[in-house]
Amino acid sequence: MGKLRLGHICEAAFWLILAAFLYVESFDFDRGIEIYKFGATGWPRALLLLLAVAAIGQLVYQFLAGDKSTSGTVGAASDDGAEEAARESGHSHLRWYVSAFCLLALPFLYMRAHDLAGLFLTLDKDGVHSVKLVAAPLLLVVYLFLARGNQVGAILTLPLFFAALLEDLGFYAMAPLFIVGITLLMGERRARWIALTVALIMGFMLLIFVSLLYVGLPTGNISPFYDLSHWLVTLLQ
Amino acid sequence: MDPFGNFITGTVTLFSDPLGILIFFGGVIGGMLFGAIPGVSMLTLAAILLPFTAHLSAEHGIMLFSVIYCTGVYGGAITAILFNIPGAPENAPTAFDGYPMTQKGQAGKAVGAAVMCSAIGGTVSAVIMMAATAPIANWAISAFGPPEIFALVFFGLAVAATVGAKTLWKGWLSILLGLLIAVVGMDPVGGIERYDFDMPYLLAGIHFIPTILGFFAVSEIFVQAEKKATGVYKAPKLSVNFPTLTELIAHKFAVFRSIVIGFFCGILPGIGATLAAFMGYNEAVRWSKDRSEFGKGKLEGVISSETANNAATGAAMIPLLALGLPGGALTAMMVGVFQMHDMEPGPLVFLNSPDLVWVVFAAMFFANLSILFVGFLETKTIINLLRIPFQFLAPLILLLATVGAYAVRGLVIDVVVMFIAGVAGFFLRRSGYSVAGIVLGLILGKIGEQTFAQAMQMLHFEWTGFYDRPIAAFLILAALLTVAGSIYSAFFKKERQ
Repeated sequence: MGKLRLGHICEAAFWLILAAFLYVESFDFDRGIEIYKFGATGWPRALLLLLAVAAIGQLVYQFLAGDKSTSGTVGAASDDGAEEAARESGHSHLRWYVSAFCLLALPFLYMRAHDLAGLFLTLDKDGVHSVKLVAAPLLLVVYLFLARGNQVGAILTLPLFFAALLEDLGFYAMAPLFIVGITLLMGERRARWIALTVALIMGFMLLIFVSLLYVGLPTGNISPFYDLSHWLVTLLQ
Repeated sequence: MDPFGNFITGTVTLFSDPLGILIFFGGVIGGMLFGAIPGVSMLTLAAILLPFTAHLSAEHGIMLFSVIYCTGVYGGAITAILFNIPGAPENAPTAFDGYPMTQKGQAGKAVGAAVMCSAIGGTVSAVIMMAATAPIANWAISAFGPPEIFALVFFGLAVAATVGAKTLWKGWLSILLGLLIAVVGMDPVGGIERYDFDMPYLLAGIHFIPTILGFFAVSEIFVQAEKKATGVYKAPKLSVNFPTLTELIAHKFAVFRSIVIGFFCGILPGIGATLAAFMGYNEAVRWSKDRSEFGKGKLEGVISSETANNAATGAAMIPLLALGLPGGALTAMMVGVFQMHDMEPGPLVFLNSPDLVWVVFAAMFFANLSILFVGFLETKTIINLLRIPFQFLAPLILLLATVGAYAVRGLVIDVVVMFIAGVAGFFLRRSGYSVAGIVLGLILGKIGEQTFAQAMQMLHFEWTGFYDRPIAAFLILAALLTVAGSIYSAFFKKERQ
């Protein structure tokens, strides 16, 4: 196995599977273009071939040299501390990845909650909203349960949750909760400081973007969140 | 009238109009602030302001955008240096050495160098632009057809593969990933949808602004958050010691080289400041006697990148104004401003609206000069952001990025895409991949494929046709030599630990 580790093989497998998947998908648009003999697939397939070559090249290099940097590369990502943090924290084990990806799946479950419910129920617009209002707290409970064992996974997931909820519940209602969540996950426990942070950040955002620049931030589409957003925007503008 | 006379006329027109003065200084300060606040960028400001320009005259609208362009490119360097979050793709190479300098307590020195070099690069470029827009545009368009531009993109990518990633292979994988993201959407020849997975959002391709915000800003927050959670986080050291004149003069050759590179890249439609910055940085590495110091906080890295990207701003106005070809996102928005006022940028602008052209040129010249004065004052304020504890700064940056991603098109899905890119960037960075490489691939992917297709059609699908064109042949050979040389270094030279 030379200097290969399981992680190296997983990395190469990821790139090769991605290349194979995208190659198979390219048959969906494999149509000729009269004036261009390479068609719509020529360029992406060439890139996929190069991707596979580079993935194999990387594997061969890791077989020979392990985790060492190559000579001649500068400004390496490895120098910005990202790799070091992962290594020192023990966040590179398979169990950590599984737990992180379980957490990361939750926002996507929320986004598709109405489709899943639609398998069993006939849903109109109000029905979709009801499903989302039920799904949000349920998934949040699961999130809190999983987050206890994986703080970094929880930090990665919270912004995605926030983004998933923006469409339905709006920026104005969700942003304060998001600020509280992130500061707590970063280890801040002083309630007064957290409240001050929420007030300052929200004040800054509303003043600059809503009052001054008239940026229409997401207002949500489920009552009473939509009503709250609408009231706030009217007040500020 | 001669260019100097025109410049004087433009200057007088600019500074004799109170609304013009207000818009000029608004643009200077707005561009610097939006460039320098992590999470948003000059593009966010431009996208927010675009609808408002309908209420301004064409002269004021274009002038506002050109001023934002000059000062925003500089402002993006501040976030790159202080937070490792490049304000725009063209500031990515600045972070390679700028952020390590901040970690070593030399933030003031790095930012001071960025201020000086941005001003020098931008001002020289503006002067050349004023002196010779028409001949340079004509030369660029006659000497650089699709084969040459494709060859330059290939050369630029070959060069960039050795910058930013842990190994050469990871550099190429990063760039190829960016190129593949750029494939999503319609193909440039037949308009056939690719990799849309039946999602209407993907038909227009993945928008680059949320993707860039995700890879740069969000992934950096995640990386720092992991360090914070695991106790390896070190707060950056605050310093406001600017570089001495002697230090800057010692790098005069690097400044000159980067101006040439930046200007050359800027005049080529579709190439713009991003490739200029990467090539400026890479040439600094290539010419250096001690390459191993780059990426660890070398002042020359910041100087080369920042001079080159600001030198590209003036040059990028040449294809826009003379030929109607935008070189990047912000210049593309300027085309929108022209169209809102029933005008088309191109050779006729010089005949029909010489006042507009010279007011814009004068504004760009003074905007670059103002970087020197306003930039130093602003830096002393912005640098204090480093005093804010990370747990309070992180939600602010994430929310600013949310607004930055959303404001461009008013789509929540763009915010989701940004955070997905952030998570992907986090996992890729901790495995030694280069997010700067991904973003470069994403930016150059469309122009690369388009010029390749046009070149092959021009050359009747004969590959050897590239070698009948001296510039294309030279660039392709240089690219192949770069690839071969880097592979040789990777396998046969002594590895870095």
